[in-house]
Amino acid sequence: MSSSELDRLLADAEHLYRDLTFQSVRDWKRRTGGLAIGYMPVYVPREILHAQGCLPVGVLGGGEDLEIIRGDAFYQSYICHIPRSTIELGLNGALDCLDGMLFPATCDVIRNLSGMWRMQFPDKFVHYLDVPQDFDPQVGGTFYEHELQSIAAALAARGAKPLRDDALAASIAVFDTHRDAVEALYTLRREQPWKVPTHELYLLLRAGMLLPVEEHVPLLRRYRELVLADAARRPMDQARVLLTGSFCEQPPLGMIKTLERAGCYIVDDDFVPVHRWIRGRVARGGAPMRDLVGAFLESGVPSAIRYAEHGGKGDDVVARVRECGAEGVVFCAPSFCDPALLDQPMVVRAIERAGIPWTAFKYSENTGQFQVIREQAGTFADSIKLWSTV
Amino acid sequence: MSANDLLSCGIDVGTSAVKVAVVACPEDGPERLLTTYAERLRRRDPLEVAEACYDAVLAQAGLRRDQLSYVATTGEGEVVGFRTGHFYGMTTHARGGLFLDPEVRAVLDIGALHTRAVLMDERAKVLSYRMTSQCASGSGQFLENICRYLGVTIDEIGPLSRQATAPETCSSICAVLAETDVINMVSRGITVPNILRGIHDSMAGRYQKLLASAGAKGAVLVTGGLANDIGLVAALRDLAPDLDVRVHQLSAHAGAIGAALWGGFRARRLQRRGRVARGGS
Repeated sequence: MSSSELDRLLADAEHLYRDLTFQSVRDWKRRTGGLAIGYMPVYVPREILHAQGCLPVGVLGGGEDLEIIRGDAFYQSYICHIPRSTIELGLNGALDCLDGMLFPATCDVIRNLSGMWRMQFPDKFVHYLDVPQDFDPQVGGTFYEHELQSIAAALAARGAKPLRDDALAASIAVFDTHRDAVEALYTLRREQPWKVPTHELYLLLRAGMLLPVEEHVPLLRRYRELVLADAARRPMDQARVLLTGSFCEQPPLGMIKTLERAGCYIVDDDFVPVHRWIRGRVARGGAPMRDLVGAFLESGVPSAIRYAEHGGKGDDVVARVRECGAEGVVFCAPSFCDPALLDQPMVVRAIERAGIPWTAFKYSENTGQFQVIREQAGTFADSIKLWSTV
Repeated sequence: MSANDLLSCGIDVGTSAVKVAVVACPEDGPERLLTTYAERLRRRDPLEVAEACYDAVLAQAGLRRDQLSYVATTGEGEVVGFRTGHFYGMTTHARGGLFLDPEVRAVLDIGALHTRAVLMDERAKVLSYRMTSQCASGSGQFLENICRYLGVTIDEIGPLSRQATAPETCSSICAVLAETDVINMVSRGITVPNILRGIHDSMAGRYQKLLASAGAKGAVLVTGGLANDIGLVAALRDLAPDLDVRVHQLSAHAGAIGAALWGGFRARRLQRRGRVARGGS
């Protein structure tokens, strides 16, 4: 066993995280001859791609290790970092292995990036995935289904398998199993955060951006078995916090480690949200496409990029704090992230009404200095441990 | 020790030394300091020194690891594997300062790399703080470098500085400029006491501004390794006559003592809530 197997498993996950050549995707294409389709945060229905024999590939920017040479020429300094590093990856050839890119509706910057991609890579499949903000099945549902059908048709025209109901039903079942495996780790972390450090969980989630789902599920399950058996992982006195705001551009791994070392157990977060966007399993009962659309409308998680009824912003964060037993909230958003930062005052109002302590800071995916964040998170953890009545 | 005493250890991993303290926390009544211990790092691995200091302080107190309810780290101790929890320097120096001198409502923690002015209330809750920027001027490390240039030991600095008759002004902004100043002073034949007092004055000037911007009033306890430098403390007293600048013989251990006390506090609270937190075994 075990600790060495665990070390190897985590080292493999970190290798995938740091591999900006997407070698695993290239290998998959060589093995299968299938299409690899990239997607930006925050959510795309990967079941469609999977059912058509494509590999969904999460593109979350260049992270902390990529030097930006040409990407800065595309975006002003008051724009977040992920579009410039993504353009950099495109221009330096790292994403040549992708046969197409999906840009889900997240914000104006991502919409703008989809246009640039179309101009820079005219031979590739590029689709801006518009998602409904009206959750009436007759309105938003019909619109969304049309969007998904158009993606499926375009992929089929480029050599993917035509989308069939039985294949989509099977793919939904596979991703339901994946959602179960991810949720099992989140539950374990909520109950025993010392068993599942967030920097490890994060690496596993990132591995799921590149690996086929059939390989990722066993990886998640094996990790869970290994950490449960690891007696050296014992509880420490840390402040339990919910971290929110990091749903699109991802923080550097060092920042997550810094937060944990500073005395925080992160017991809930919104990292790499594509894995948890649909809560629970997809409710079945109709045509598979309708089921998938229904899951998006009815079981999608509340988020800064999702419309909430008037006055409802922030209530979900309060509910999540209660559910995960957090003692405070850390707003951890990328610099210049409009969705996260525009929502923040409303969420702050909601959590202050509920008497929940909070702190806030910003990052960029390539932030390299964590001293200020360390001090801030550390003193926040101290204040929770010593003075909080929550 | 009474059977109801809860034992807690604080480990302050500093940039140049590791300080350790053990306290007994009774169910009711004031906490008692049982013992303290310290070792300089001298280019050794801080984690190894922390573990050695931990074992040494337990031996000194006649305790076993499993008798401790909480091992609290502070300073750079957040990677010490056997800790129960970690507290930040401001939090622990405030608590340790209040324990050593219950009248103070501000501490000036002068460490090897940073200096912090911390204001607190009567419970040691930090109300505000100010910290020096990244430049090492005004820190213990800077003073150690000066010692090497002048060929004196760190323990000699204070008494020598007190002998100054005509202190020489030096840069208080930048360690590199200050070091250049010192080299120039040596070549100009300025005496060592006058150089040292000039440096103490420049450092004390920074501290005085730090305390003023934090809003410190009345009694201030100097903590951290440089609290033992009588020349520096004298310079600060001269420059800040409106403050009651105090030093305690255990000032250098304030962080470790504060960590131990907060550890004891947390251990009791966790006990009451039925939550588990392992000790340092």
